[in-house]
This record gives sequence, structure tokens and C-alpha cells, in this order.
Amino acid sequence: MKRRSYGRDAGLTLRMILTSGLLGLLYVLFAAVLIVYLKVGFAPMLVIVLGMAFFQYFTSDKLALAAAGAKVVSREEQPALHDMVERLCAMADLPKPKVAMMSTPVPNAFATGRSPKHAAVCVTTGLWERLEPKEVEGVLAHELSHIANRDVLIMTLASFFAMLAALLTRFGLYFGMWGGGNNRDNNSGPPIWLIIFVVSIVVYAISFILIRTISRYREYAADRGSALITGSPEYLMSALQKISSQMTLIPNRDLRQVEGMSAFFIMPAKVKSAASELFMDHPPLEKRIAALAEIAREMGRPVA
Amino acid sequence: MGLRDVLFGRKKLSEPHDDRLFALTTAAVTLQVELGLKTAGIGAISLKPQSSGEFRSAFDDIDKLVDAVAQSSGSTIERKTDDYGYDWVIVHDPDLEDIVSSVHGISAGLTEQGFGAQLLAAAFKFDGGDHPVYWIYGFKRGVFWPFVPCGEQKRDNATELELKAKLEEELPIEQDLTRWLALFDAPV
Repeated sequence: MKRRSYGRDAGLTLRMILTSGLLGLLYVLFAAVLIVYLKVGFAPMLVIVLGMAFFQYFTSDKLALAAAGAKVVSREEQPALHDMVERLCAMADLPKPKVAMMSTPVPNAFATGRSPKHAAVCVTTGLWERLEPKEVEGVLAHELSHIANRDVLIMTLASFFAMLAALLTRFGLYFGMWGGGNNRDNNSGPPIWLIIFVVSIVVYAISFILIRTISRYREYAADRGSALITGSPEYLMSALQKISSQMTLIPNRDLRQVEGMSAFFIMPAKVKSAASELFMDHPPLEKRIAALAEIAREMGRPVA
Repeated sequence: MGLRDVLFGRKKLSEPHDDRLFALTTAAVTLQVELGLKTAGIGAISLKPQSSGEFRSAFDDIDKLVDAVAQSSGSTIERKTDDYGYDWVIVHDPDLEDIVSSVHGISAGLTEQGFGAQLLAAAFKFDGGDHPVYWIYGFKRGVFWPFVPCGEQKRDNATELELKAKLEEELPIEQDLTRWLALFDAPV
């Protein structure tokens, strides 16, 4: 019998294609403008950005761990964590990544590394101690899905030209301040550095939004991957709730006992505008929970 | 892993390969003759249960089937859930071949029902060395690897590598050592 591959979110796939397409188009236009207006200095700049991108890409696992102040832990130090990661890797058919821990009470986790073979997964001590094992598992499976989906590679590729644009913006600024106006060979149009400057700013701004959008889609994809590996999306849901520390607001005592306190439990309604979501690199919690709930409903159902 | 998976994220776990499970029964001769290892009369299969109701009822059906098979071959079946939430079906039988076929029966049954992707591994215990030797079968890649625990959270890598070298001809063995999953608390 065939079961449906749950989390087959056609809308998500379509949005991913659309955003990547827009980003690609933007970069092609940007490259065209660069080639037309900027004939010199392009090659060294490209080398610099390529170098930066490669450096970031190849050192991503060590760099991110060092930046976060995380420590790689051995099996002897954290046997249970290693066991958990190993089994999830076996389920996900991934080689085992480095396992690291970060000493902070804030529950959180991240994964990094350019490929499944050069990857690391890191949890904070807060996550490990405060969440239930099954919830930790859901979070770990989410991070392993990032590794399986090669998100470091995707995001490096996506942000490559944004980095170039950011560099050019700065470059254009210096160029305009020091050398601008000296060699204006065409008198009619605006100076070349200004065009490059403005175009770079626009490219940077738009690519920033598009990159954030891709990042949010990757989060949904990793949530789906977690549900896939653990087989129970409900634990990731509660883990997400806890991590965003809203769980503390759910009363776990009898309402009558705490009647005098109940006024404090009402959450202020948060007004979220569509604009603010555009700039976030993670989707809002409610939407992630809703997507996971949909997966939970689909799960295990035979193909209709 | 295809390009599609990278671009849009995985939508499926890989399906199990249970066809190479029976290689262990032929390798048993070498294990006994060359290394003095023989079955400890116990083997187990572990899987990650899904929380969906469809999975539960499918698993119950397979359970009944396995019980029937076990009764005809005279093995006893036991079930456990470990600390990490994985379900184990443990087969006791003096004959390795019966253990392997019971394990294969469960994996085939689950795959038939569409839940093959939930299978983690099977473990077969052997006695005769300084420490018990486990041959673990990973369903995702259809390969075996040795696991020799010696004390708390320690494994005897030298013996494991020796086992790999000696059995390579007869068993499909996982070549990537980073995938040699340890199962310290396996209930076998």
C-alpha cells in the first residue's frame, strides 16, 4: 500500500519557485547593469565577493560554532544527546554531524555546515534541560532537515549577489566622494557611480526581502522534515511554543485556585502587519503551528 | 538525494531495503568457524512509531501476523519501548534463521502497509567473544555494521574493525564509519 508523502504543500513549492525566480531575475538585471555601466574594477570586486562567499561556505560549520561560543561535545560527555542524534540520522539517512552544546538557559538550536558530511548541530543547555526529550527530538530533527535540505548552500547562493550589491553600495559611495565628477565623459547623463550606487541600493533592498522570504520557506520545509523523521509533529509544535516562551502563559493550575491571578494570563493581542512579516527570517509561530497541524492531519493517510 | 529534495526540501523518508537481511544467515557459518561467535538466541527490530491512528492499527495487524508466525516456528516475541520512544519487537529463538525471518516478516509487513520508512534498524546478538557482539542492520541503506559495547558508553572499535575486515566478503557492510550507529540501551 502506498501512503501519501505528507506535507506535499503545492502552494509552498510554488512560492519557493516564484521567489527564487524573482531573485534570479533581479540578479540577472543587476549583472546586466554592472556590465553596461561599470567596465573597470568589476573583476577584482567579483574575486573579493567570491572569496568571501567561498570562505563563508567552507568554514560555515566551524565559524558558526565559534561565533556562537558553542563547544563540540563528545559521546562520553553527553551520551543521551549523541544517542538521540544518531538515531535521528539513521532515520533520515544522514551521516552523523558534529554535536555541540551552547551554555545558555535560553532554549534554542541551530545547524550549520556546507554539506551533510561537514555539518554540525548545536543545542543550548536550556533546550536540553527544559524541554521534554520528545520535544528536543523534534527540534533536532528540524535542524537535521536543514542539513539534509542543504540550507547553508542555498542561502549562500541566494545571498551571493546581495553581498556584491552591499559591497558596491559602499564602493560607489567612496568612489563618488573621492573620484566622482573628475572623469565625466558623457555630459548629458548622471555620473556612472551614482547609477551604480542607486542600482546597488535597490538590488540590495529587494534581495534582502527575497532572501528573507526564501529563508522562511526553508523553515517550513525543515518543519515538515522534522515531522517526517520523528513521525509525530505534535512534539515539535509544543517545542516551538516553549521556545517562544509562550507556554509559560498557559495556566497549569486550576482556574479557581488562581482566580485572582487570571488577569495576568490574558495575552495582549499582537497586531502583526503584513509588512513586518516581510522582514522576518522565520515565519510567525502561528503559521508554523498551523502548517504542522495540517501535516499531522495528513499523516499516515493512504493515497486517495 | 536529488536536486528536487535540495530545492524544495525532502518530502519523504527513504524506503527500507530489507532484501539483504538474509545475508546474515550465510555469514553465520564464518562467524562461528573463524571467530567462534554464535547467536545468543535473540534479535530485535526497532522502529519509530508515528503518532497517526493509521500507523497504530497497521502495526497492530502486523503484530498479530508475527505472533502467528512465531508460534509456528516456536520463537517467543516480546515488545518494548525504549527511552527515546522507539518501539522494539524482540524475537527469542535458538535458531538464527528463525530470528531473521521473523524480523523480515515485520519489516515486510510494515512496508506492505506503507510504513516501511518508519523502520530504524534490526539488531542480532552473538556470544562467544570477550564482549557480546551485535550485528546491526540499517534498513535505510540495506547494510550491516558491527557494534561491540564494552562498558558504559564505550565500544570496542578494534574488534568492530576486525569483524568488518573478516566479514566484508559475505555481508554488505556499511563503509561510512560515521554511520555506524551505536545502540547502547538496546533491549537485547
